[in-house]
Amino acid sequence: MSEEDSMDREHSAPIAAEYVLGVLSAPERRDFEARLVREPALVEQVESWESRLGGLASEVRSVSPPDRIWTRIETALTANDAVRSIGFWQNLAFWRWAAIGSAAIAAACLAALLHVNMNRAPGQNEPLVARLDVSGGQVGFIAAIDRRGGGVTIVPASTTDVKQRVLELWLIAPGDQPRSLGLIQAERPIHIDLPAGLIERVGPHATLAVSLEPPGGSPSGLPTGPVIASGKLTSL
Amino acid sequence: MLHLLNDPYRRTTSMEQEAEYRQLSAALARTAGGDRNALKVVYRDTAAKLFGVCLRILRDRGEAEDVLQDVYLTVWRRAATFDPGRASPVSWLVAIARNRSIDRLRSGAYGRQMYSIEDALDIPDNAPGALEQVVTVEERRRLTSCLDELEPQDASAIRAAFLDGATYEMLAERMSVPLGTMKSRIRRSLIKLRACLER
Repeated sequence: MSEEDSMDREHSAPIAAEYVLGVLSAPERRDFEARLVREPALVEQVESWESRLGGLASEVRSVSPPDRIWTRIETALTANDAVRSIGFWQNLAFWRWAAIGSAAIAAACLAALLHVNMNRAPGQNEPLVARLDVSGGQVGFIAAIDRRGGGVTIVPASTTDVKQRVLELWLIAPGDQPRSLGLIQAERPIHIDLPAGLIERVGPHATLAVSLEPPGGSPSGLPTGPVIASGKLTSL
Repeated sequence: MLHLLNDPYRRTTSMEQEAEYRQLSAALARTAGGDRNALKVVYRDTAAKLFGVCLRILRDRGEAEDVLQDVYLTVWRRAATFDPGRASPVSWLVAIARNRSIDRLRSGAYGRQMYSIEDALDIPDNAPGALEQVVTVEERRRLTSCLDELEPQDASAIRAAFLDGATYEMLAERMSVPLGTMKSRIRRSLIKLRACLER
């Protein structure tokens, strides 16, 4: 169980409660969100408090937004697609150093990038990449798929305290159930071979997600623990 | 991923509400798969509620519009992290809207604003629309009765923080108590609320 249960459950409201209630200052919120990336138990506390207090929002009166908001959202989605397909690698390098400042992991990431770039072929076989965001919007993992059968390489971009659990990687095709790609490591990049033709079958619009599972992985074949990071595949 | 039937709270949900939550959860799942029409469904069914949440915190239409746009772009990126077995889809969306609004409110440009505790107590009595209710009727009833067990001032401080985005400093100023007193009262209230909700 979480720290909340064993440590200070009866005596103090955890900082997760203060975060969800919204009473923390901007620096305190930033500090707490940084901890969220490293401590999955805290994510569970936040979710519990969101469930406990969320009903308060029923007291807020709905107000119809102007139609232009949806138009702006659609425009932004289209623009994002274009930016991602052009400048993804440059942004990727920036995220790595900015997000973690660890030379060792940054080098591992570069290796992953080189691996993909060397295998790069024109046309339909362009590699797919995904930036898997964790709660709060920070980068959790970077993944690249070699569509010519080279499998998936996934690099952790931040440290995750998995305690007694393991990380499992899932591929989710539009409208389909999550499909396990295997277990991954919290501290180092890992390469997983994919069944031949899998990526072509699920198409380029699938999502990669990472869940916390009991040792050995999900017993059911579907994610059983919290999904701690996810991101859509994007063509390079 | 779909734990709907195992969730004890779901048993108390009215059938209509459960159907709405299921439809919204399904739309979020399709959004996670890259379906823009599914995001549009999510927007159609929830934008008015979330715009209300943003407006209540930011008190400025232009700011609330900017944040609302950002909220749905966040939903687009993070839809795969929504787990219907762990949260109501509406409260998951409300959490994103509140977090974005509070971040904007706390940013330098906004500065330090004053809030009226009285405003926070002014609960509009409007007829619930399709997705007006963030949680089930039963959950809402329990939360209200647990808030009623707190000192009235503490309950209104909890509401002012959650609904209006007030910080400890703002609450202490409004209620004319030292900051440390305000913090311990809020923390004590949160523990009481948790104990009451788990009874």
